[in-house]
Amino acid sequence: MKTILATLAVSLALTGAAVAQAKIQVGCTATSDCASAMVAIDESIFKKHGLDVEMTPIGINSNIPAAILSNSIQIGGPTSTVFLQAVDGGLDLVAIAGASVMSPVNQDSIAAFVRNGITIKEPKDFVGKKVGAPGLNAFLHVLFVKWLVDKGVDPRRVNFVEVTFPTMSDIIKSGGVDAVLTAEPFVTRMLNAGLGSVGARYAVELARTEPIIFYAASREWADKNAVAIKKFRDAIAESALIVNGDREKASASIAKFTKQPIELVKATPPNQSEPVLKPEQLSWWIEVMSSQKMLQSRLDTAKLVLK
Amino acid sequence: MTTDRAKEKAKALLLPLAVLLAFEAWARATHLQSDSLAPPSEIIMALAGAFADFSILTATRDTLFSAFAGLAIGTVIGLALGIAFGISDTLNRLMEVTVEAVRPIPSIALLPIALIALGFGYRMEIVIVAFACVWPILILSRAAVRSIEPRLMEVSRALRLPAAQRVWKIIIPAALPRIFVAFRLSAGIALIVAVTVEIAINPLGLGAGIMLAQQALRPDLMLAYLVWIGAIGYALNILLVVAQHRLFGRAALSGDSA
Repeated sequence: MKTILATLAVSLALTGAAVAQAKIQVGCTATSDCASAMVAIDESIFKKHGLDVEMTPIGINSNIPAAILSNSIQIGGPTSTVFLQAVDGGLDLVAIAGASVMSPVNQDSIAAFVRNGITIKEPKDFVGKKVGAPGLNAFLHVLFVKWLVDKGVDPRRVNFVEVTFPTMSDIIKSGGVDAVLTAEPFVTRMLNAGLGSVGARYAVELARTEPIIFYAASREWADKNAVAIKKFRDAIAESALIVNGDREKASASIAKFTKQPIELVKATPPNQSEPVLKPEQLSWWIEVMSSQKMLQSRLDTAKLVLK
Repeated sequence: MTTDRAKEKAKALLLPLAVLLAFEAWARATHLQSDSLAPPSEIIMALAGAFADFSILTATRDTLFSAFAGLAIGTVIGLALGIAFGISDTLNRLMEVTVEAVRPIPSIALLPIALIALGFGYRMEIVIVAFACVWPILILSRAAVRSIEPRLMEVSRALRLPAAQRVWKIIIPAALPRIFVAFRLSAGIALIVAVTVEIAINPLGLGAGIMLAQQALRPDLMLAYLVWIGAIGYALNILLVVAQHRLFGRAALSGDSA
């Protein structure tokens, strides 16, 4: 009996070890938000903490929750809006660590870029205009609508359409839309090409410090992999220091993952990396999204972030 | 004769070549700055670069593997159902509503469900390609079986062939030229669906290559992928047409009119 128990214990320990060593797939879109994970791979920080991590590029951020649930990726980098909508829709996801937060640096890089021939002097000038957002109900769109509401403009009187980042300059040039909600490096590129001007720096005026993107997993996986998550958090904390402090290393890793030309990556400061995520940081998002009728239920922030 | 034909072909190439040259000249003259267009010379350079680092070859392997695996599975299922429906009128009538209800669902509409159920990777892509390929094969093989010369069926009955042998020795050989046309049609669909799945969700293959190049602001590379996909589709079609003529000769012509 003892030997049976001992064999069982050994085999359990072995499978446990096998689970701990299993490769963790982290899925992110081709932006600098997950830079802490990119750097942690390139600088062998994950390896140092005993984790085998690989990154998967994901085309559209709103696919990340489904990819997590199908276990194609174990950890994903959804935007706050995508994450909250997924949880609101009933998907059992939990945030496990912070990735990027809004900060003066990236607020400065976010703009509503207006085509030539249109002048925006105040927020109400956007009324009746056709505004392209990279994703409807996504990060930049929600922020812009919040800004309009704060300025007393009814967002329903602005005509929003979806325009992806890479097509923005061509659509602005052809006059297909009057303005686009965009960020660096696109703002500078379009300014240099003489396609128009900056209509509003709405993120600067909002001046928030809430998370843009954070690392999330399914609750089931998180419960089973508490040790791996502890290691992941330690590694991300270590690599966030590099992202925020060493532009050279951060840019190299971002260029490697996003396949963007290195000069282009270097031209834009990466989003501020903040490895610690506190439940209360999500309250502002919940409030804003609820007021825009994007959430049906009352979400409990304490349950959204893993302790 | 052959030189005449070569001349004709050369003439047909003139227009696309002239268009490319004009585009190149225009792009250079206007110092084209775009995130979705690139001059042909840059596209060729990007294509060469993608070959040099094997990235486009790996992507081609992934896409073709998914497309062919899906095509094979779809063909087997479509053929089995098509032959069964073609032989049995009762079965055909019973299944008609089901088939006509499921068939119009665009295969791409299954993506969200497929992603949650199967996750990223070959499996999801193969399932969606197979779903898209089943229908043309099913419908055309059913029609092919039904249009088999009735006397052949009489012969099989006179010989008292068991059902399996009747299918194997009479029905499939008689319907094969038309079934091959269906296969050719599905092969084109398989490639389109595979690339679409990759563009929409799946992070592998040529479609994902296009998306990644676009997001990396490399229109030259994105268009290089596009050109390469066109070349693959063209080659695949030529291969199938040659195979069709080699395998069926004159019978292939009757298949084309189906």
